Amino acid sequence: MVTAQTPTNIAVIKYWGKRDETLILPVNDSISVTLDPAHLCTTTTVAVSPSFDQDRMWLNGKEISLSGGRYQNCLREIRARACDVQDEEKGIKIAKKDWEKLHVHVASYNNFPTAAGLASSAAGFACLVFALAKLMNAKEDNSELSAIARQGSGSACRSLFGGFVKWNMGKAEDGSDSLAVQLVDEKHWDELVIIIAVVSSRQKETSSTTGMRDSVETSLLLEHRAKEVVPKRTKQMEEAIKNRDFGSFAQLACADSNQFHAVCLDTCPPIFYMNDTSHRQDNQLC
Amino acid sequence: MVTAQTPTNIAVIKYWGKRDETLILPVNDSISVTLDPAHLCTTTTVAVSPSFDQDRMWLNGKEISLSGGRYQNCLREIRARACDVQDEEKGIKIAKKDWEKLHVHVASYNNFPTAAGLASSAAGFACLVFALAKLMNAKEDNSELSAIARQGSGSACRSLFGGFVKWNMGKAEDGSDSLAVQLVDEKHWDELVIIIAVVSSRQKETSSTTGMRDSVETSLLLEHRAKEVVPKRTKQMEEAIKNRDFGSFAQLACADSNQFHAVCLDTCPPIFYMNDTSHRIISCVEKWNRSEETPQVAYTFDAGPNAVLIAHNRKAATQLLQKLLFCFPPNSDADLDSYVIGDKSILKDAGIEDMKDVEALSPPPEIKNAERSKGEVSYFICTKPGRGPVLLSDESQALLHPETGLPK
Repeated sequence: MVTAQTPTNIAVIKYWGKRDETLILPVNDSISVTLDPAHLCTTTTVAVSPSFDQDRMWLNGKEISLSGGRYQNCLREIRARACDVQDEEKGIKIAKKDWEKLHVHVASYNNFPTAAGLASSAAGFACLVFALAKLMNAKEDNSELSAIARQGSGSACRSLFGGFVKWNMGKAEDGSDSLAVQLVDEKHWDELVIIIAVVSSRQKETSSTTGMRDSVETSLLLEHRAKEVVPKRTKQMEEAIKNRDFGSFAQLACADSNQFHAVCLDTCPPIFYMNDTSHRQDNQLC
Repeated sequence: MVTAQTPTNIAVIKYWGKRDETLILPVNDSISVTLDPAHLCTTTTVAVSPSFDQDRMWLNGKEISLSGGRYQNCLREIRARACDVQDEEKGIKIAKKDWEKLHVHVASYNNFPTAAGLASSAAGFACLVFALAKLMNAKEDNSELSAIARQGSGSACRSLFGGFVKWNMGKAEDGSDSLAVQLVDEKHWDELVIIIAVVSSRQKETSSTTGMRDSVETSLLLEHRAKEVVPKRTKQMEEAIKNRDFGSFAQLACADSNQFHAVCLDTCPPIFYMNDTSHRIISCVEKWNRSEETPQVAYTFDAGPNAVLIAHNRKAATQLLQKLLFCFPPNSDADLDSYVIGDKSILKDAGIEDMKDVEALSPPPEIKNAERSKGEVSYFICTKPGRGPVLLSDESQALLHPETGLPK
């Protein structure tokens, strides 16, 4: 049995649009800042036993189905990398070939409300993959694990590191090079303080998965963003982070957030994620 | 003395961004529909007299300054095209060379509130230029006049014609080929019905002039829009209008409105012209359109939260009004007669005579858990595509007193 805790992350250069829906490969790079898990995190316990007759998972106390493609992808990919596990103290001995026949139980808990729209699936899938990797004694490093977490939820790959993280879009068809790397750790720019305003919303929001697919299919601005704007911005953002250049960081982050929402508006049907309150906060800051 | 009346217009392929601020030359073409002046128009009286010692103008009863560049441009350009005027009946004889020394008085009046954000400057400058051209006997046709109105306010050039109008961006440095042409007249597609939702807004909006300049300077998406997207869309829109293809018309109009607002959001600082009410209106229309075999309503928003909804025909407009009145009923103390103005006969078609009928409306079936958002819309205007500028020959409609040359 293994218990892990992973943070959530917020993109400052946004991921919006896939070039491959099954492997979850993005149309552009993205960069994120990892948030302090003391305040926002997912805790996941994974256990294995010959007495378990099926894979089961409980999320925030409720049992959920693991039959969906994303969960299946993660389970399959981790199982394929399982190795021998030996715990002499507990008398446990699992051979590499045993793992594919064994079932796991997973319990996961977010210390922040799922309804708040605070990227719980990113933290969730990252934690699941990380915990299972430890349980099954996989040898992969966090970047390689991020490529698996990515198949659960794109942004999850960036939760495999602290500090500032980049998700390289990659070029390979099989997505093996589409993974996260750490740009700098959380101590590099530790004077930053993050305040999140959880805005009251009556609207049921469009899911990211549906939304970005509609954007790829219908926004005539998205391709230009992905091909021309983001590559330059990504370089500039990496520089700003490395040099702790807050002026550039702020200009780039605000511009990219606004452009992401602009592409949402340029989608058919248009997607409005921000509301009047979101806009007012923007005005306040200016 | 000459009195003219011009309509306002709403762009369906948007103008947003100048390549020349002084001449007001745009970065892309635009296409608009002219609205029926019976419901929304500017009326302007212009008079000349040797006794006038300076150019003066009154707008909606208040005197305003004509010293600004835009007014000066229009006055100068029209004066340069003035010709001999002879009215034997009235004993008036003005030679071409006299015009540059004579001063004019101008009184202008909008029959719709300026605060409603309904493009009053477009109608206003178009009317000023048209009226002055008639007064000074300029020989230019409406397209040539549009190139002058354009220098007052870009979108004003499209108010020199009725029906559907295109503002060709032009190539010339001096802007002589940046002018409006009529695509089709107002009879071509006269089954269209237009409902404008004037949305309550607490915000003071960013002016179009400032906004589009910021967009040109800071939006990395604007150039792509102007160079790649709009040229194709303009061709497709012209086809759709010519063929009365409402499905294509609606898809293009909605997409272009949204892309214009997307570019505003991509600006630094970001510009939000639409608010939550605007979004809810879009959501209503999108859901209805998707539930029908073919879109019934097109929406478009200018630099403000007001929705301009173009319905395929009277039947669609009637159903649309019912859905809108369900979703956006007036405040309880409101008077139905001032809540739906313009062509009020649409209320009858919708079976709505009083507030009780509004309260009794059924929720639109395509909207789950439809909410009624009271007071979010200030009022609705029902209108249709309309004709271009006209002269009013009835002296009683003149806004200046024939004896004094001052506002009545």
